[in-house]
Amino acid sequence: MQTKAMKELLTPRKLIIKIVSAAIVLVLVMLVCSLIGTESISMKEVFRGASKQAVVNPDYEIFVKVRVPRIILAAIVGAALASSGLVFQALLRNPLADPYILGISSGAGLGAVIAVISGINWTLWGRSPIALFAFAGALGTVWLVWFISRLTGKFHVTGLLLAGVVVNAFFSAVIMFLTSVAKSREIHATIFWLMGNMIEEDFFVLWMGAGCILAGILILFNISPQLNVISFSAEDAKSIGVNTARIHTIAFAVAAFMTAVAVSLSGLIGFVGLVVPHAVRLVFGPDHRQLFPLSSIIGAIFLVAADTLARVIIAPAQLPVGVVTAMVGGPFFLVLLVKFSKKVGWLG
Amino acid sequence: MNKWLLLFLIILFWSAAGLAIFGFQQDQNYSATPLPNQVDRIISMAPNLTEILFALGLGDKIVGVTLDSDYPPEATKKPKAGTFWQPNIEAAIAAKPDLVITLGFTQQRNLAERLKRIGYKSLTLNIEKVSELFEAIRIIGTYTGKQSEANKLVGDISEKLDKLSALVGTKAKIRVLWVVQREPLRVAGRDTFINELIELAGGENAIGPTLHQYPPIGAEQVIACNPDVIIEPAMNPKNLAGQQSSALEYWLRFKNIPAVTNKRIYVIDGDTVSRLGPRLYEGTETIARCLRPELFAN
Repeated sequence: MQTKAMKELLTPRKLIIKIVSAAIVLVLVMLVCSLIGTESISMKEVFRGASKQAVVNPDYEIFVKVRVPRIILAAIVGAALASSGLVFQALLRNPLADPYILGISSGAGLGAVIAVISGINWTLWGRSPIALFAFAGALGTVWLVWFISRLTGKFHVTGLLLAGVVVNAFFSAVIMFLTSVAKSREIHATIFWLMGNMIEEDFFVLWMGAGCILAGILILFNISPQLNVISFSAEDAKSIGVNTARIHTIAFAVAAFMTAVAVSLSGLIGFVGLVVPHAVRLVFGPDHRQLFPLSSIIGAIFLVAADTLARVIIAPAQLPVGVVTAMVGGPFFLVLLVKFSKKVGWLG
Repeated sequence: MNKWLLLFLIILFWSAAGLAIFGFQQDQNYSATPLPNQVDRIISMAPNLTEILFALGLGDKIVGVTLDSDYPPEATKKPKAGTFWQPNIEAAIAAKPDLVITLGFTQQRNLAERLKRIGYKSLTLNIEKVSELFEAIRIIGTYTGKQSEANKLVGDISEKLDKLSALVGTKAKIRVLWVVQREPLRVAGRDTFINELIELAGGENAIGPTLHQYPPIGAEQVIACNPDVIIEPAMNPKNLAGQQSSALEYWLRFKNIPAVTNKRIYVIDGDTVSRLGPRLYEGTETIARCLRPELFAN
């Protein structure tokens, strides 16, 4: 049995229509979410512009300097996590794979915890060193896992997964050790970081983050035909002339890089990278040429909506966004699973 | 390889465009200290800071507090700017503050930094020791034009503390085990302000120097540290009696330590002893009453 989408051929026109309509939905969701917040603000005030010396305009500051940057950040991170989750699911041929499966999360977490505990106080362009440490930790861990798996064989999915799981467990243990010996006042800061810490960033950081993620999605889209073949079987791929080692390396490097960027921007946000690719695959079929653009856009929509909930649901306090992604995304995904799984062959 | 070169060029162009459009964001000119008379709208991001502000007579100028600011009772009626650990920056901006006061914890310091970037003035204070509390009261006084009130408040507290230590000081030290949490057992170590309060009240922390501020300890250490008195601050002051009886029951498992043999286990209202604020003396006196009830008989 196949989905409707699989029976029909994917023409460039259809693909473009799908991408454009998804993008329109994303923009609409971002617009609506920018109007939702704990403070009610009037757009008339916002358009009056920034605060001057004498006239303070909090509405403008809330909207332009806090809410909009945060929504853009959520979109960037959502897109990054969803598309890198998709890569890991395809390459590892494992439905449980997500961006964190190879230990990126604990590597980044370790970096962040070290940054917090060591009490480093220097700032980079007014930003705390947590992001930098997390980024380094994430990339370092991926490299370590990749290196270990290479020792086990050329490209061995089991070797890679096991190396990832063990490195993950080891670094998690180190994190627990550090937090248990740290002074208690520092621990809380890391706990919130580990649950996903979404704050407003300035526009240059957002611009660069968006650039990294767009470049990543572009590269992945470019190699998606080869990924289609690999996700069925690496041997078949080799036999029809796909340079699997090269594709593997590129896809891994890009996915790891995107995850590292996302994690360093916003802490560990779970569930997006696991569930969004599955949901998109369930609804639209398993062709990676459309999966990459669609899951990144839908990942962005999902995280923007989840973060908006996190901002307002227990006002005036805020929830860590990671809590919302799992609590809202979980049931929603189960509904999709039950509704669509009968139509889809790949679930077996 | 051409594709990669193209990609590289695009990335280069993208970064340059970003720099051209946004530039590195310049920090606003926030370093200027606000003049005392200009501070009219203050946000306090911690319950003890709120208490200090009220004690300095600045209650009317507070335009935002955290959800956990519950003393004095008027504080609960103030607009809320999130919680201590999860500040709500939108609410903080909406309150149009001209001074935001935070503590030095990472989460709090970050809020101060973020507000500075947008252009709000903030003040970050570390209050971890009694001396830092006094200094913080004076600094807040300077910023808000309440220097004399601040000096008076500090003077009052230290005077009362001096009297108390004169009352209890000469006697032999009583060994106190300060239990933060029963399961798993965690106690206050030496590197805490609780330790300072215990010493001010004429006691001595039964636990020696530890790696943690609030070390988790096992049965072995409980017996070895041999406390004369066990104090449990209750987080829920409404149920002091209930916690008192469950405490007596719990500590029965250590029959041989003096605190248990002499039934000297006290559950006290955790409010005044869990935050370093202007009620420091009240907290210290509560502890002193547990240590030497005979001195306070009349």
